Amino acid sequence: MSRANLALLVLIISIATLPLFGGPYALRLGTIACMYAILALSWNVVGGFAGYPSFATAAFFGLGAYIGGVLLARGAPLTIAVPAAGAGSFLVAALLGAALLRLRGHYFAIASLSLIEVFRELINNATDLTGGGMGLNIPLSASAGILADAMFFFYMMWGLLLATAVMVIVVSLSKLGFGLSCIRQNETAANMVGLNTTLYKSIAFGLSACFVGAAGAVYAGWVHYIDPSDVFDILYSVKPIVMALIGGLGSPLGVTIGAFVYLGLEEVVWRNYIQIHSGVLGVLIVLLLLFLPHGLMSLRGRKLFWRVKNV
Amino acid sequence: MMARFLRSYARLPGLLLVAVGLALSASATSAQEVIKFGAPLPLTGPLAPEAIKQQQGYDLWAEQVNKAGGMSVGGKKYKVEIVYSDYQSNTPRAVQATEQMITQNGVNFMFSPFGSGAAKAASSLSERYKMPTIASTASSSQVYDQGYKYLFGTFTPNDTLTTPLTKIVKAKASNVKKVAILARNDLFPLAIAQEMEKSAKANGFEVVYFEKYAIGTLDHSATLSQIKTLSPQWIFVTGYINDLLLVRKQMTDQQIKADVVSMIAGPAYQEFIDAAGASGENITSAAWWHPAAKYDGKDIFGTTENYVKLFREKFKSDPDYAQASASVSGALFQMAIEKAGTLDKDKVRDALAATDVMTFWGPVKFGSTGQINSLEPPVFQLQGGKAVVLSPDIIKQGEFKLGVN
Repeated sequence: MSRANLALLVLIISIATLPLFGGPYALRLGTIACMYAILALSWNVVGGFAGYPSFATAAFFGLGAYIGGVLLARGAPLTIAVPAAGAGSFLVAALLGAALLRLRGHYFAIASLSLIEVFRELINNATDLTGGGMGLNIPLSASAGILADAMFFFYMMWGLLLATAVMVIVVSLSKLGFGLSCIRQNETAANMVGLNTTLYKSIAFGLSACFVGAAGAVYAGWVHYIDPSDVFDILYSVKPIVMALIGGLGSPLGVTIGAFVYLGLEEVVWRNYIQIHSGVLGVLIVLLLLFLPHGLMSLRGRKLFWRVKNV
Repeated sequence: MMARFLRSYARLPGLLLVAVGLALSASATSAQEVIKFGAPLPLTGPLAPEAIKQQQGYDLWAEQVNKAGGMSVGGKKYKVEIVYSDYQSNTPRAVQATEQMITQNGVNFMFSPFGSGAAKAASSLSERYKMPTIASTASSSQVYDQGYKYLFGTFTPNDTLTTPLTKIVKAKASNVKKVAILARNDLFPLAIAQEMEKSAKANGFEVVYFEKYAIGTLDHSATLSQIKTLSPQWIFVTGYINDLLLVRKQMTDQQIKADVVSMIAGPAYQEFIDAAGASGENITSAAWWHPAAKYDGKDIFGTTENYVKLFREKFKSDPDYAQASASVSGALFQMAIEKAGTLDKDKVRDALAATDVMTFWGPVKFGSTGQINSLEPPVFQLQGGKAVVLSPDIIKQGEFKLGVN
């Protein structure tokens, strides 16, 4: 295992100590941070490793939230709803991927973007199952107090983040990761030498959706109320990409740090500029990308070994 | 080797701590002589127009209180400050903003975020922190039936809008048999359409058509021609002002006529009346409140007339139920706090629960769930470019007229 991967695990494990320092609000931020990191790390599999600019993160986040939400609303426990959402998202993504990933570049980006719209409309119109535009209420589980609840969902999200990181590391070390890297560099050549590119890309797309869907389910259980415009928010697709760019494209460690830094920026800006926070945040991101085109990872200056190894 | 490794990564958690630290450095100003009310609003995003209305309502109330020298609580005068926050029309952020206001900004009392969904999501926090909260824009009874003690709401359930309307039509328009319902696929518009379907069926009408249109639909002509072929005598459309104007315009284009055309929630707004012009004639609607209502309140605003006057002076436009509900929420807090004579959250909560008073908004009394149960929302009809109240009887201004061309 490379040092970068080791550092990633150390970073994630150090996050687990957050409850020692903060109250419910810090835990809420921590939960969101873990969620963002899951989205960004997952995006990295298809966007960073395979080089396919996917905008489908929000589609699978919403899908997972609804699979999980509907199950929870019908009385299933989280232990069933979350894996079901993950598995469902994996399956749907892998199947759709087999068709969509024949497109490349901008064409793929647009197609993946349209997935959000398609899922949103499907959910919107299945009013009997999902409540449509009225949203879905998820019954509150018996509350064990503010802190205990916050802690529970924080560790739930954290556990998912750890699983996502392990998945990403395993992929990057496996033949799959190597294959994806070949696809990114020259897909036609990879195909010529006998790599089943469609299979590889579909698995990558499925994996990138799996944990996002599971995170959606945890999220649904956490906020108790979801509606299509909330969970199919296009920002869930854009933010992971921005985080990856902030941190350093392709590097799991960079992407995770990018997610945390992004959340920090978002929180500070949101607190201090009520009216124009979106604008301020946008300017900050543009500045970051102008001066650090390879993300925060390029701050390391000398040997950027993780990029050489994992990109 | 190991040392170098450790050195290389020692900075990472540091960086993270800085980010989190920055995030947590809240501006905790002292609450001396000031009562702080938290109001998380969707100031940006699709709900922004609604947020601005709420903000106007809260601002007007706060301005009036401070102009009068503040609230007197236990012989001491307190100024009112409203702490706003933008949750970007995003429910989880609304919950986050609520928790931030309670734990970091030290607000004394809360207003709920906009709409039933967000209000419900945030209400569990109010309950856990024992924070008296008034929801000024949540009507669904599902928001209040969770057994919570600290949540109060100024909107009656959705069926209180559709039932009186159905009753009037049933009594006054005997040849109305078939109803067509077209609903915007969105929380409130869809919920109200479903209530309409229920009350229509309960009153013996035949619902021949029930469809939803997507948020942002720009062409209703296919749907409308379908409705035309069914020749319903009553067409009921839900949505917001722009949707309803578009539907009305396309109805005129296709020359769809009906005995009764009802629209919720557009006609409550002056913008609708102005833009619809002659085509708005005889459209019926219902809302929780209307500036044409005449109540003589005991709150800081007094009569409905006075409220409308103050609002016009400040914002140069007519208030509708959204702004009025925000203002009355503040006024209700004020009366409860002054009656309790303390800022103690539990005592103010009890005073709110015991509220039984007339306001410019109408009579206010909260049921056991915390939702208002004393208000009879007005049904009104556009007649001669004016909204005329048809019911309830105490504020009735005119008779129901048939025929929308």
